[in-house]
Amino acid sequence: MADIALNPRPARKRIGDVTAWQRLKANRNWLGIWFMLPTAAFLLLFLAYPLGLGIWLSFTDARIGRGGNFIGLENYEWLWGDSVFWLSVFNTLLYTGVASVIKFAIGLYLALLLNQHMPFKAIIRALVLIPFIVPTVLSAIAFWWIYDSQFSILSWSLKKLGLISQNIDFLGDFWNARWSVIAANIWRGVPFIAITLLAGLQTVSPALYEAATIDGASRWQMFRHITYPLLTPIIAVVMTFSVLFTFTDFQLIWVMTRGGPVNATHLMATLGYQRAIGGGYLGEGSAIATAMIPFLLAAILISWFGLQRRKWQQGEAND
Amino acid sequence: MTDMTADAKRGPAAADHSEGMSYLETLPRRLVTLYLPLSIILIVLLFPFYWMALTAIKPDEQLLDLERFNPFWTWTPTWKHVSKLLFETHYPLWLWNTMFVAITSTILSIIASVLAAYAIVRLRYRGAQWVGGAIFLAYLVPPSILFIPLSTVVFQYGLFDTPFALILTYPTILIPFSTWLLMGYFKTIPFELEECALIDGASRWQILTKIVMPLAVPGLISAFIFCFTLCWNEFIYALTFISSTQHKTVPVAIVNEFVDGDIYRWGSLMAGALVGSLPLVVLYAFFVEHYVSAMTGAVKE
Amino acid sequence: MPMLTRRALMQGSTALAATGALAGSGLHEWASAWAQSAPWKPEAGAQLSLLRWKFFVQSEDDSFVSLVDAFSKATGVKVNIIRESFEDIPPKASVAANTGSGPDLFWGLYSLPFLFPQKCVDVSDVADYLGKKYGGWVPTAVTYGKSGDKWIDIPVCFGGNMLNYRISALKKAGMSKFPATTDEFLEFAKATKRNGTPGGMALGHATGDGNTWVHWCLWAFGGNLVDANDKVIINSAETEKALNYAKQLYENFIPGTASWNDAFNNKAFLAGEISWTNNGISIYAAAKRDPTKKDIAEDMDHALWPVGPVGKPTEFHVCFPMLAMTHTKYPQACKALMAYLLEADQYNKWLEASVGYLTHPLNAYDANPIWRADPKNTIFGEAAKRTLTAGGLGSVGEKAAAALADFIVLDMFANVCTGREDAKGAIKIAERQAQRLYR
Repeated sequence: MADIALNPRPARKRIGDVTAWQRLKANRNWLGIWFMLPTAAFLLLFLAYPLGLGIWLSFTDARIGRGGNFIGLENYEWLWGDSVFWLSVFNTLLYTGVASVIKFAIGLYLALLLNQHMPFKAIIRALVLIPFIVPTVLSAIAFWWIYDSQFSILSWSLKKLGLISQNIDFLGDFWNARWSVIAANIWRGVPFIAITLLAGLQTVSPALYEAATIDGASRWQMFRHITYPLLTPIIAVVMTFSVLFTFTDFQLIWVMTRGGPVNATHLMATLGYQRAIGGGYLGEGSAIATAMIPFLLAAILISWFGLQRRKWQQGEAND
Repeated sequence: MTDMTADAKRGPAAADHSEGMSYLETLPRRLVTLYLPLSIILIVLLFPFYWMALTAIKPDEQLLDLERFNPFWTWTPTWKHVSKLLFETHYPLWLWNTMFVAITSTILSIIASVLAAYAIVRLRYRGAQWVGGAIFLAYLVPPSILFIPLSTVVFQYGLFDTPFALILTYPTILIPFSTWLLMGYFKTIPFELEECALIDGASRWQILTKIVMPLAVPGLISAFIFCFTLCWNEFIYALTFISSTQHKTVPVAIVNEFVDGDIYRWGSLMAGALVGSLPLVVLYAFFVEHYVSAMTGAVKE
Repeated sequence: MPMLTRRALMQGSTALAATGALAGSGLHEWASAWAQSAPWKPEAGAQLSLLRWKFFVQSEDDSFVSLVDAFSKATGVKVNIIRESFEDIPPKASVAANTGSGPDLFWGLYSLPFLFPQKCVDVSDVADYLGKKYGGWVPTAVTYGKSGDKWIDIPVCFGGNMLNYRISALKKAGMSKFPATTDEFLEFAKATKRNGTPGGMALGHATGDGNTWVHWCLWAFGGNLVDANDKVIINSAETEKALNYAKQLYENFIPGTASWNDAFNNKAFLAGEISWTNNGISIYAAAKRDPTKKDIAEDMDHALWPVGPVGKPTEFHVCFPMLAMTHTKYPQACKALMAYLLEADQYNKWLEASVGYLTHPLNAYDANPIWRADPKNTIFGEAAKRTLTAGGLGSVGEKAAAALADFIVLDMFANVCTGREDAKGAIKIAERQAQRLYR
């Protein structure tokens, strides 16, 4: 494909000379197809096809390496009555809900703080980004060690301060484990949200604030009526990403708890992995993965229609 | 960073403004409303790295003895863990694997994205808008849904346990976002430039390579950084599609290789995590402005 | 004994030094001689790759490497050793079996070969040869090795999993010897908790430590997952008793065991956080190797599992079978390697280097000095004879392997111990899962 296009043949030809091939080359639609080819190949072969295949697999009893037979809805029926599956759904919703809300709150607050004038601004912003840059797995390992049941630095510090008398069992107790992994997820997600919102804040024209100050608006009023509405579109995008990637998180859980204790932190993604790759039940694992799709679609639609419309309404009102 | 360029563009008025607002606030007030919360957040965000670094250089006996040694500091740092990591394990090989996979799939993705973005924005073939939307949606399909069927696909194509299993699958994560990003850049390049070139008889390919690409260099850099980071970060595909030690990437290898049966080598684990993060930190140290502007889509340079 | 320690230390230092030390000991000469006379002649230009479990005792692995190295030198067969953690072996082996590519040899756990019996090279000739030469296989080894009338793997060794305890904690609990019955054991657990020296056993997804102790507990009270016909019979009063007993034990554990994997108890024991747990000999081996842990090594000992109401031992130790895949291009080389490893001149050295972590499946190796060199090692020598097999009353097969891989029994115990479910509820969940596997 590349050599065809590379051929530097100028289109300075007399009309009569134009061959079918030349027309094809110049034709916008055909050229478009050529240009789209690599992307289409990747996305069709490694994204669309597997996506369809996954849905198909969820209707079969496929095991690792051997093809399955069509068994209809049996995998779903089995999951419907499987308490571990429902637990993982609950965990996933809890994990996504709590982590996304807190990430957003802290992220917005941090963005507002960073938007103020202060010395060493650039360095501080770069530092804030670090948790986002470092590979998740590697920081998860650090958290794993921080949450160790015997040698946790947090337990040690709290003990020295006299606040607790026994080590906190971070990853061994159901709720402790859930809050611990959520905390790690928040820690990891805040910088992305903060920096993105910060950039959004900087597009807000200072003149608006000046006008508001002259009108005697309070800080909260300014935030509520100027900052927030103008930020809405970027909030929509950021939160869609944040919710989606929290919902489908795998790495943090896999490294820190592998779904334990007693499945208390299993997310749908990790349970799918355990059943499909660990246990070898590809069909059942695919059914779990497929069951995530409706949730994701719902999240996308909510953010798309909910927030987009508000942005549009806002725009209208402002104009 | 972005704010500097933005400030520069807005001119003196903007600079005056931020000073103008802050004079209203006294120092004690700013201490409570700004510096105190900011430093708390910063400490929380950075503590795990401090802990990682400290664990990596602490001698073993101090790691598991919190009573006799102050855990927050060590006076006897050791390079044992790091040197063990670099000279007694396959770590350099894993770093190389990660680098190789990340760079190859990033380059592949960027070539594909540039072509696709250009076609969507400038060729405006029939249905281009829909294709653009579809590509964006593709970004929202997470790897944790795809890895199970992809693993069977990877077997079918005979790619299992080869670097190509990753090099060819990573672009599915990278292309959608970088296409989306580059579309934004290409839109900002004036149409007139291209029209002139077309009239002068340049082909579309020449326009792309000689005019559009040079103008979109900042966007390309952002896309490159973004793709590279995602590759470096990727875990679930690497965990599923690679099985032999010599083909593993850093994130997977560290989790699997530093747990000897039932003994965790925390020192080496942390050293591995730290060294594995360094390439990205270095990359960002140089290109952080591009990255920030890329993430925001605030690309109206 | 001092000699042994010195060797262990030497081998622990670096693999290079170990190879050097062994090269001097005539290993290579012997290997060459063996290669001349062995019934299996490796194919010309054979190359093998072997996937094994990640070692728990460094010197064991070093010894394994040098044995294999000598084999390579003698036969010209290059062997590439790959290591994976316990739980990652079954999926990798299944993938290799079904795609027909991947390592030639797999050395895994429990009933691994039964996940794909038709993909394993028939090694009956190797098993017969070794059995005749070394006093016969122990019965459990036959169970783990034979599918129908064919040997599909060589159960290279067992890994004893016994109770590890601090002698001082036992004394403090007012006992002169380690409890021999489940009731006494519970008293011991309560006393240690009272004394501030609690113990703990893994309830996370710990393939080795977790599975061994919950199966012991289940069987000790007469509970079983399936009967001899592979019918699910987990829903029984006996199971309930076992669960309630385990819950009482758990209440006297150190907090946090629900998240423990195979590594946590080693770490906690060596740090003095717990005074008893169940484990292979790796804790003791690590304590002996580390000069700063000398006091722990001296103050600890191992005990057999207490006997429950069923009145006979119900121990469950780890089995490590090695299998060759039918897709290997060099089946003779695979067989030669398996036979070679279990020949006395190698196997004895290897047993010694593993300082008791590995237990032999062939009767003749009862004579290995390691079992008498240190009285604390002795009981580990009986692991192969004392263990019950995966699947309990039922068959050792794909289903038993899947039940272990899914942690059905372990999760049932964990559900009850942590209070997530009552005994009845937990049994229901396990029953449902088991019925799906055993249908």
